Amino acid sequence: MSANGSPPRAIPRDSFASRLIEAVAGLADRPMAWIQHAVGGRGMAYVFLAPNILFFGLFVFLPIGINMAMSLTGGTNLFLSERPFVGGDHYRALMQCGSYLDPASCREDHFWKGVSNTLKFTLFQMVAMVGTALVTALVLNRKIRGRGFFRAVYFFPVLLSPVVVALIWKWILQRDGLLNGAITLAGGEKILFFVEPGWAMFWAVFVSVWAHMGFYTLILLAGLQAIPADLYEAAEMDGTKPMRVLTRITLPLLWPNLVVVLVLVLIKAVQTFDEVFVLTGGGPGTATLMVVQYIYETAFANQVQNFGLAAAASMLLGSLLFALTMLQLWIARRKAA
Amino acid sequence: MAGLVLKGIGKSFGPVEVLRGIDLDVADGEFVVFVGPSGCGKSTLLRVIAGLEEVTSGSIRIDGQDVTTERAAERGLAMVFQSYALYPHMSVYRNIAFALENMRLPREEIDARVRRAATMLRLTEYLDRKPGALSGGQRQRVAIGRAVVRDPKIFLFDEPLSNLDAELRVATRKELAGLHAEIGGTMIYVTHDQVEAMTLANRIVVLNKGRIEQVGTPLDLYNRPANLFVAGFIGSPRMNFIRGQVGPEGRLVTPDGKVNLPLPPGSAATGEVTIGIRPEHVAPCSPAEADARIAVELVEQLGSESYLYGTLADGTALTLRSPLEDPARRGEEMPVRFDPARLHLFDAAGLAIRP
Repeated sequence: MSANGSPPRAIPRDSFASRLIEAVAGLADRPMAWIQHAVGGRGMAYVFLAPNILFFGLFVFLPIGINMAMSLTGGTNLFLSERPFVGGDHYRALMQCGSYLDPASCREDHFWKGVSNTLKFTLFQMVAMVGTALVTALVLNRKIRGRGFFRAVYFFPVLLSPVVVALIWKWILQRDGLLNGAITLAGGEKILFFVEPGWAMFWAVFVSVWAHMGFYTLILLAGLQAIPADLYEAAEMDGTKPMRVLTRITLPLLWPNLVVVLVLVLIKAVQTFDEVFVLTGGGPGTATLMVVQYIYETAFANQVQNFGLAAAASMLLGSLLFALTMLQLWIARRKAA
Repeated sequence: MAGLVLKGIGKSFGPVEVLRGIDLDVADGEFVVFVGPSGCGKSTLLRVIAGLEEVTSGSIRIDGQDVTTERAAERGLAMVFQSYALYPHMSVYRNIAFALENMRLPREEIDARVRRAATMLRLTEYLDRKPGALSGGQRQRVAIGRAVVRDPKIFLFDEPLSNLDAELRVATRKELAGLHAEIGGTMIYVTHDQVEAMTLANRIVVLNKGRIEQVGTPLDLYNRPANLFVAGFIGSPRMNFIRGQVGPEGRLVTPDGKVNLPLPPGSAATGEVTIGIRPEHVAPCSPAEADARIAVELVEQLGSESYLYGTLADGTALTLRSPLEDPARRGEEMPVRFDPARLHLFDAAGLAIRP
């Protein structure tokens, strides 16, 4: 049915358009019949899947395979055939540490500093992201004036490129930026946000939350709106206090959405690179250096391009992300069941 | 338990006036049913009483105390929702105990009350289950249990049987009647099903377009409807109506003069009137006894009885109930007689004219 309720108009028989469609479709008849004859009815499903699998294989599975091979070979040459096999040397190099709690004691101290920073970033970001997204969703779920406007406002940063987000905030936070301008106007002293390690990590987390919160708010808002209104009315009749409604009704019923958000935030945080890289460049020093930035620099930005070591680090990171993705799928399936 | 007094209740949603000037007294321990067509305001009235909606005008008194501005929780009422509104993540036990936990009652008392309600509603073996693992009827009983356990001043039921199949609806209806007899609480029940209303109520409140049309016992409404709306709404199939003028012989004559019917005995009505007669009070008869003849258009055979749908000579539709299995065929002309004692008369404004 069309939008106005009337049935869609069929292409008139014997019109030029219908004859053209028939002629084009007819071209495929013979080859399709031949393929069907060759592979059988059941095999046709795989024939139709083949283009996608080919595309996926070429741009996803093949690079993973090449990366794995890279991680087991050494040298600076980009061509695998020219690279000597070194086995697990890169993995051993990455894992060689006096103490895993002290990155400075590790052979690849920047890798472990990246791991440590990524863990810190992930932890802070998860708490801040889920907390703010939840509060925002709870507020936006109420019947407030301009609800649609606020939803759009909170979602808007999601549409921006991470580089644009980082540049906007760099402009605000730099030494002579908007924020320091406001601080000096109010009689305060300029703060060097990108020079003090604590501030740099704080703003890395803040900017990330600002940029992505809208997306997670939307997921939580969808979950909140799926909770039937009469449960809240029943709770009201039962004399339930607002905080108890939140903890005993809203949060338990929102739990599946919350778990999905938690896992998604976790995966995104572990993958963080572009925003933080453009905002702080990993500095000051290595204060905001993330694992992905370490991989990028080891492979492409350092004077000696160590593809093998970078590939080994990305295999380790990939394994962690794979485990997290499986966790998310498992949770999503449990929710669907 | 407590009585309820509504005075001049009005409720508007923006420009839409949903309730207008509702006045009602519900006695302590009474079972009152609000009935009416969809959109008549019956559920809104219940929600206003519950405190889930604020009134636009008027006052609500429960047990003599003005609760108009009090929140739902402070009114001491319990409500059974159409959807049951059970907390899906809690067990049956937790669902029933939830309100008592809010009241911070001692754990032993909560347990005793929950188990007592569960026994009464045959839910003991399901206490550990989640609502999703229960049948519709069992969920309904949990919803009732959740209300019973609180020992509320008034029970409110919002179309609680509408999600059940026909058989379960009859069974649950009986259980509700039994529950009222057992605990004797004041109950207010909303339904659009007149059989539920007739079988459960001490008194029925018929609502239409946000106003009360009539309040009375089920038989009052059936035998002495106050107006055309109530007469048409109560009873199934609905009452037959024949419009006309009172002629010089004191009989009703339809505008085209083709039908001439007797008025109720003792009636002194004049001018434009409507006669009402229920299908069960019209009977096939011999041509000599006939008040009118109908052309049979449809026969519904229900086994124990049959309904005949036809038209009078002026085209007015007429339904009659026959105890016979096969009383007539489509297209037949049938002489019929109206029970004079069961005739209802309404004036031009649709109000009942009593002899």
